[in-house]
Amino acid sequence: MAESSLHQAAKTAGAKSYLQIVDVVKKFGDNTVVDHINLSIAKNDIFALLGSSGCGKSTLLRMLAGMETPTSGKIILDGEDITALAPYERPINMMFQSYALFPHMTVAQNIAFGLKQDRLSRSDIAERVERMLELVQMKKYAHRKPYQLSGGQQQRVALARSLAKRPKLLLLDEPLGALDKKLRQQTQLELVNMIEQVGVTCIMVTHDQEEAMTMAGRIGIMSEGQLLQVATPGEIYEHPNCRFTAEFIGETNLFGGHVVEDEPDHVCIHSIELPRPVRVGHGITGTMGMPVWLSLRPERVGVSRQQPVVSGNWAAGTVGDIAYLGGFSIFHVRLDSGKVVKASVPATHWREEAAPTWNEPVFVSWTDNDAVVLTQ
Amino acid sequence: MRQRMINVIAAGVLAAAAVPAFANGKVLNIYNWSDYIAPDTVKNFEKETGIKVRYDVYDSNEVLQAKILTGRSGYDIVVPTNAFLAKQIKAGVYQPLNKAKLANYKNLDPDVLAQATKFDPNNAYAVPYFYGINTLAINAGKVKAALGSTPLPANEWDLLFKPEYVSKLKSCGVSVLDSPAEALPIAAHYLGKNPNSNADADWQASANLFKQIRPYITRFSSSGYINELANGSLCLVLGYGGDLNIAKRRAEEAKNGQVLRVLAPKSGVMLWMDSMAIPKDAENVDNALAFINYVMRPEVAAANAKAVSYATPNKAAKGQIENKFLYDASIYPTTEIQQKSFIQLPLEAKTQRLQTRLWTEVKTRK
Amino acid sequence: MMSRLLSLRDSRAAAARPARRSAWWQRALPRGQSLVTAIPYGWLLLFFLVPFLFVLQISFSDVEIASPPYRALLSRAEDVVSLALNFGNYRYIFGDPLYFDAYLSSLYMAGVTTLICLVVGYPIAYTIARAPEAKRNTLLMLVMLPFWTSFLVRVYAWMGILDNEGLLNQALLALGLIDEPLQLMHTQLSVQIVMVYAYLPFMILPLFSNLVKLDGRLLEASADLGCRPWQTFLRVTLPLSKNGVIAGSMLVFIPAVGEFVIPELVGTPESLMIGKVLWMEFFDNNNWPMAASVTIVMVALLIAPIIYLHKREEKALARAAAR
Repeated sequence: MAESSLHQAAKTAGAKSYLQIVDVVKKFGDNTVVDHINLSIAKNDIFALLGSSGCGKSTLLRMLAGMETPTSGKIILDGEDITALAPYERPINMMFQSYALFPHMTVAQNIAFGLKQDRLSRSDIAERVERMLELVQMKKYAHRKPYQLSGGQQQRVALARSLAKRPKLLLLDEPLGALDKKLRQQTQLELVNMIEQVGVTCIMVTHDQEEAMTMAGRIGIMSEGQLLQVATPGEIYEHPNCRFTAEFIGETNLFGGHVVEDEPDHVCIHSIELPRPVRVGHGITGTMGMPVWLSLRPERVGVSRQQPVVSGNWAAGTVGDIAYLGGFSIFHVRLDSGKVVKASVPATHWREEAAPTWNEPVFVSWTDNDAVVLTQ
Repeated sequence: MRQRMINVIAAGVLAAAAVPAFANGKVLNIYNWSDYIAPDTVKNFEKETGIKVRYDVYDSNEVLQAKILTGRSGYDIVVPTNAFLAKQIKAGVYQPLNKAKLANYKNLDPDVLAQATKFDPNNAYAVPYFYGINTLAINAGKVKAALGSTPLPANEWDLLFKPEYVSKLKSCGVSVLDSPAEALPIAAHYLGKNPNSNADADWQASANLFKQIRPYITRFSSSGYINELANGSLCLVLGYGGDLNIAKRRAEEAKNGQVLRVLAPKSGVMLWMDSMAIPKDAENVDNALAFINYVMRPEVAAANAKAVSYATPNKAAKGQIENKFLYDASIYPTTEIQQKSFIQLPLEAKTQRLQTRLWTEVKTRK
Repeated sequence: MMSRLLSLRDSRAAAARPARRSAWWQRALPRGQSLVTAIPYGWLLLFFLVPFLFVLQISFSDVEIASPPYRALLSRAEDVVSLALNFGNYRYIFGDPLYFDAYLSSLYMAGVTTLICLVVGYPIAYTIARAPEAKRNTLLMLVMLPFWTSFLVRVYAWMGILDNEGLLNQALLALGLIDEPLQLMHTQLSVQIVMVYAYLPFMILPLFSNLVKLDGRLLEASADLGCRPWQTFLRVTLPLSKNGVIAGSMLVFIPAVGEFVIPELVGTPESLMIGKVLWMEFFDNNNWPMAASVTIVMVALLIAPIIYLHKREEKALARAAAR
C-alpha cells in the first residue's frame, strides 16, 4: 500500500490538476452513496470511474454535472469552485447513457441546441454544427431525426452535442453501454480519437473494465462509495492494491494466507491452500503473521509435466477442466489442497509435447515476480 | 320497406333510453306532464283493476312531440297540448277513441268539448284532461313600490307591454316564458292581431313589441321563475297559470312577506288544454281506455284538480271542488275572460320558423 | 366488414368439427391482428358513420307533417324510383346570418374554453406527472372525482355558487369586499367558468398521459446544455407534449362547440350558441331536416381542421422519410 500510495501521490502532484474533487460526500438520507472522495485530474486526461452498479460512480458524475449537490466537499474546475453552480451554469457537458437525444429535433438541431443557448450568431452556430458533424462523420445525416438513426449513429450525435459547446470537462455516462458488444469494441478507440482530437478533459463512468482499460489514461476503481485505487490501466492490472481491485480487473487466483517472512526486498507467505510458502519479490507494509491475500494472474502460472526444480512457488495437481480458446487455453488445475488454480497457457507452449489432458497429473509454477501481495 | 327500416333504427338511436318495460298483458304505459296527477290516482287504479302502470313524465311538449313523431314510443297514453295535439293528429300518430268504452265521457263539460273541436275535430282522438291559462303574476308590494305614484293600469297586460310600466319594474325583475310559441301570440293578441295568424307581418309586429320592452326583460325562463318569483327576486312574470299559483302558494307557506298576485286580465289570456290521446302503435289500448275512463270519474277528477290547481273539464267533478278554486279566475277563467281569450292552433311550418327566428332576434337584441 | 362478421358467426358453428384442411371460412376469417384493428373501425362505422349517414340523408329532406316529420328522399311511383334532394336547408343556413353568428360564437366560446383549459390544465397535468408514483393515482382520482356526480348536478351546484344570492356573493358580502351582489349568473363569464370547469379533466387526462411518458433525462440534457428550467419547458417539454396538447384540445374543443346545457342554464339570452340553434330547429320548429343540416355543417366545420392537421402530419412524415 505504501508504495502504491506514494506512487499515486507522486502522480497526482506531478500532474497539473485541472479538476479537483475535494472530500466530496453524498448522502441520500442515511445512505452514504459517495464517501469522502478525493481526486485530481489533469487537463486533457481521459479518466474512467470503474465500478459495479450502485458503487456511487454515477452519483459522483451527476455531482460533477450539477444534477446532484454534494452533502459536503468541494468541486474545483480550472481554479473555480463550481460546487454550488446549477447544471446550466457549468462549463461541463455530459453525454448521457442512452444519449437522451431530443426526439423532436434533427441531428443538426440537437447539436445546435446548446449553442443557441450561448447566444452565438446564426453563422457561428451553423459553422460549429458543421464541424461537429464532420468530427463524428454524420454530415449526411444532419436532417434525420434520432429515431431514424442506428445506435452507433445516435451515440456519435450525442458526443457531438456534448462537445459542441467546447466544455472544459466532458462527462460520459456509460458511453457505449447501449451498443451491442461487437460495435462497442470498434467504437471505443474511435471515441477516444475524437475526444483527443478535440482535446477535452474527460471523465467517463463505466462498469465495463475493458472499456475503461481501452479508453482511459487513468482509472479509478470505486466500490461502496469509496475510491479504492487510482492508476493507469497497466498499474491497476499488474499491481492491484486490494483484493477487490484484483478480482474486479481481469481474472486472478486468490490465496488467503499470512506473512511468515518479512524482509525489505521480499516476503514469504504461507497459505494452507498451497503446499509450501510463496516467495514474493517485493516488500510490503505489514508485520509478521498478518493475514494477507495473494493474487496470481492465470497468465503468470505455468503448467508442466516435470516437477519444477526451484524450492518454492509451485504445487502439484491434476487437470480438471480445459477451456480451449484458440491462441491459448485455460487449465483448471485442482491442487492437492482442493483449491483450483486457473492457468492460461499459450498454444505455442506445447510445441515439444502434447498438451496435458483431463485428469493428468501436472505441476503449476510461477516466479518471485508473478504473485502480488494484497494487504487489504 | 327500406324507409321503414331506417325509421326503426333512427327511432332506436333517438329513443333508446325511453323504452318502457312492459309491453303486454295487464300493463299500461303512461307518459304525462310532471306533477300533473294526484299522488294516489295511479295506485288506486292499479288496486281496482289489477293493471300494472308504468308512469313516466316529461316537461315540454317538444320532448313529447319528438318522441311521438319518431314512432314506437312504447306509450299507451300521452297528454299533448292543443296545437301540438292538432299537428300530431294530422301526422297520423293517434288512433280514434272507442267512446263505447268511455262510460264517464258524459261527465265532461260540453262547452270545453266544443272548444276542443278546434284542434280535435269531432273530439275523435282526445279526451280533455286539464285546461288553464298563460298569464301574468306580480309581486304586489314590489310592483307598487317600483311604480310609485303611478297606479296599476286598467289593462293589466300594459304592465308588460308598455315601456312606461315595465321600465320601472326592471329593477325588481321581469321574466317572460322562453318560448316563441308561448310568448309571441300573447303580444299578437295584445296588439289586436290574430294570435293564430299565418301572416308574416303580424308576427313582425308582435316581435317588435317585444323588442321595445326587451331592455327591461331580465330573464327568459319557462320553469326557473317559480322559485325566483316566490323568493322575491322577480316582480313581474309571464308564465303558466298553474306555476304562478304554485309560486304564490310557496310564498304564503314561506311567510317571507312576499305577496304575490296571479292576474287574470279582462282583455283575455292565452288558453290551453291538455288532452289524453292513445298513440296508433299503443299495445295496451283497452287498458288505456280503462284508465281514461277512470280519471273521468267525478271523484277522481276532483282529486286530481285539487292536487294540480288547474281547471278540470269534468263538469260532474266541480261539485267536489272548493269555491276558492272555482272562483279564482286565474284557475277557472270566467266566461267573460274566456270569450276574449284565444287558444293556439297549429301554424304553418314557415310561420313557426319565422316565430322562432324573430324570437331569437328579441332575445339576442339583434 | 359485414362479410367478416358473417364469417365469424359461421366459424363458430364450424369450430365444433375438426378442420383438416384450411376451409373457406378459415381463409375468410380475419387474423387476430386484423380483428383487433377491425374493432375500432367497426365501432366508428356503427356509431359514427351509420348515424352520420342517417343525419346526412335527413338533411336533404323536407319537413312534412307526418311520423317521422320529414319526407323520404326516395319515393316509388309505378315502379319508378325517384330521388328528391332538397338543398333548401343548406341554402337557408348560408343565407341567414343567424347561423353564421351562432357558429362563430360557438367556435369562439369553445376556442376560449380550450385555451383556458390548456393554460390551467397544463401545470396541473405536469405536476401530477412529476409527482411521486404513489401520489399520482390519488391526484388523478381527484381530477376524475367530479365524474362520479351527474354533470347536471354539477352545473346546478355552480348555479348555487354564482347566483346573486349564491355562496360566492354571500361570502364577498360578508367579507365586506362588495356592497351589493355581483351579477355573475347569466353572463358570458358564468358560461365560461362552468365550461372550463366541466371540460378541464378532458384536457388534463391526455396531457397527463403524455407528460408522464416524458423522459426525465431529456430535461437533464437540456439543463446540461445550458437551459434554465423555463427555457427547458419551452424548448423541450412543450414541443414534446404537442400530441397531448392536440389530443386534449380536441377533446375539449369538439364537445364544447356543441355545448347546450351550460349556456342554457347559466348563460345569457343574448348569446346564441349552435347547440341552442339545433335545439330550436328540432324542438321549436320541429324541423328535423333543418336540424340535420345544421349538424352536418357543424361536423364539417369540426372535421375540416382535423383532416388538415392529419394531412400535414402525414406530409411531414413523408418528407422526413424521403431524406
